[in-house]
Amino acid sequence: MSLVAEAFVTQLAEEQILLSDNASSLAVQAFLQMCNLPVRVVCRANAEYMSPSGKVPFIHVGNQVVSELGPIVQFVKAKGHSLSDGLDEVQKAEMKAYMELVNNMLLTAELYLQWCDDVTVEEITHPRYGSPYPWPLNRILSYQKQWEVRRKMKAIGWAGKTLEQVLEDVDQCCQALSQRLGTQPYFFNKQPTELDALVFGHLFTILTTQLTTDELSEKVKNYSNLTAFCRRIEQQYFEGHDKDSSTTVAARSAKRSLLR
Amino acid sequence: MGGPDFGALGEEAELVEVEPEAKQEILENKDVVVQHVHFEGLGRTKDDIIMYEISDVFKAKNLIDVMRKSHEAREKLLRLGIFRHVDVLIDTCQGDDALPNGLDVTFEVTELRRLTGSYNTMVGNNEGSMVLGLKFPNLFGRAEKVTFQFSYGTKETSYGLSFFKPQPGNFERNFSVNLYKVTGQFPWSSLRETDRGISTEFNFPIWKTNHTLKWEGVWRELGCLARTASFSVREESGHSLKSSLSHAMVIDSRNSSILPRRGALLKINQELAGYTGGDVSFLKEDFEFQLNKQLIWDSVFSASLWGGMLVPIGEKPSSIADRFYLGGPTSVRGFSMYSIGPQSEGDYLGGEAYWAGGLHLYTPLPFRPGRGGFGDLFRTHFFLNAGNLCNLNYGYVMVFSLEQESDFYNTETFLHHFMKPCSVIEIKTIMYLNVV
Repeated sequence: MSLVAEAFVTQLAEEQILLSDNASSLAVQAFLQMCNLPVRVVCRANAEYMSPSGKVPFIHVGNQVVSELGPIVQFVKAKGHSLSDGLDEVQKAEMKAYMELVNNMLLTAELYLQWCDDVTVEEITHPRYGSPYPWPLNRILSYQKQWEVRRKMKAIGWAGKTLEQVLEDVDQCCQALSQRLGTQPYFFNKQPTELDALVFGHLFTILTTQLTTDELSEKVKNYSNLTAFCRRIEQQYFEGHDKDSSTTVAARSAKRSLLR
Repeated sequence: MGGPDFGALGEEAELVEVEPEAKQEILENKDVVVQHVHFEGLGRTKDDIIMYEISDVFKAKNLIDVMRKSHEAREKLLRLGIFRHVDVLIDTCQGDDALPNGLDVTFEVTELRRLTGSYNTMVGNNEGSMVLGLKFPNLFGRAEKVTFQFSYGTKETSYGLSFFKPQPGNFERNFSVNLYKVTGQFPWSSLRETDRGISTEFNFPIWKTNHTLKWEGVWRELGCLARTASFSVREESGHSLKSSLSHAMVIDSRNSSILPRRGALLKINQELAGYTGGDVSFLKEDFEFQLNKQLIWDSVFSASLWGGMLVPIGEKPSSIADRFYLGGPTSVRGFSMYSIGPQSEGDYLGGEAYWAGGLHLYTPLPFRPGRGGFGDLFRTHFFLNAGNLCNLNYGYVMVFSLEQESDFYNTETFLHHFMKPCSVIEIKTIMYLNVV
């Protein structure tokens, strides 16, 4: 059974989107491409508020709205498409564990860098986040979001960490991923799974987004099999595809070219 | 309570030895001069605003006039909202400089306390809330008023702070500054709206009309009320900032605003948003007209007409929070609350233009039960309502902006696009007997 009509992934507009949201969106796009499902990407300034859970991206299929990668995977599975059917129970558990690792480490590190590192906050995050809104709303919304993220960081114990410690954590996470990937094309050998989509989303975004420092992307670049993995997935699923999604990906990579 | 103290006057009349038969003459024909006006009980109220309100009393020429002008002054003082009681005493003048026909008028006033409060609990519609009100009347002595209201409910919290200052001597001319946060739930659109705003307004009368000029800045946050909200409503979620200037004019010649018997009402309201900041840009016009006429047998015939239009300026479409809504017991009966017009999956989205009208006939109850007492509180209400709400499809007129006004002096093209039929028209006429 195929999905009714087209799903479109709604995310924030190009000048507004932040690193973490971009990574999540790209992961969902990669996943849907891997399932061979047509996707139309729509950018809205208020996508975050449109989403039922408050997080981007979300897909709108028919009259249903589903947000975040986990529920989207479930939803797509219910419609009859799944990438992880070929895995046995042990492998499925392992996949879940690695996905949790990426969410807890990489995503949180991205959030930390965006909202808790003062330099990045001032120069990149505040101008971008508030760009669609007029003064004073842009400042109010930025500060509100920052306060919320910092409170979350405090709750999970990251508030006390320094940038170096966070980068160390990122390094460890990349090491674990690199070891698991080894020389295989995908994490579970022949076929891509949602784990591949998630890892691709985060790593590609980290590698291609220009921030105030290059330290984050340098940590990822240390692992050549990870960069090769990203390049492979980009070539296979995003180039030679229709204009829409490849332009989006290409626009992002224009900030810093991965294929050098 | 009002009017002079006849007891005192009677005593004085005896002392000056006027024949009883001439008493009638004193009351109606004798010329008097108001020599002094005293005030007792003033505390923090400043003298200058009092002077304006009572200046007319000095101009009275005979006793009836003095009584009438004192009564009017009393009404004016009460309307300032700074006194709890105002009593008037009219007495003949005593003292060395007293003229034979001199009068003293004394106003005995009790000022309101510096702080009054109220506390209410409200329960209804699945929500309970506690409402706390604080009022500081006559804050600096010139009838300034600060009110604060705070409502804490199980679902929503809202508050408002307002400062009001009239012009001394011209109470109808006043200005006020308001700060508020208001939340509303609109189940007919599956929409939740939170408004945080600040507004300043000036009220002033010109001849028989009342005008209000207002600037308002509102931070609006829209959200879906339920997961089942339609996608069109979901698309409107988010934040916007509206900064608008508005002007309202009211001419009201009715004898009462509730169940009027005669007179007419005309309200015209316009709002221009976007030129003082914010990201919402539109021009909004609406009017309300009502005419009442008394007929035979104590019946009242009433006709009313409302209409309005919202023109977005620029390329952005109008927001659901700015559009008009129609329907319900207060506008077009026969429809659920605000459930007329464009909709999507059961959620009513509001419209950019509307008109509604009604013809009403109020009569006493048939056979007039309880006449002269309880029965007079009830009326029979015949009515005929009609209305329409739609969006205007402008076509090329969509890129309307004030700078390009010259394009639309080609009236023919403009009207052609303007009068394009609305995509959905809903007109319903109902007529039934309603005991009000």
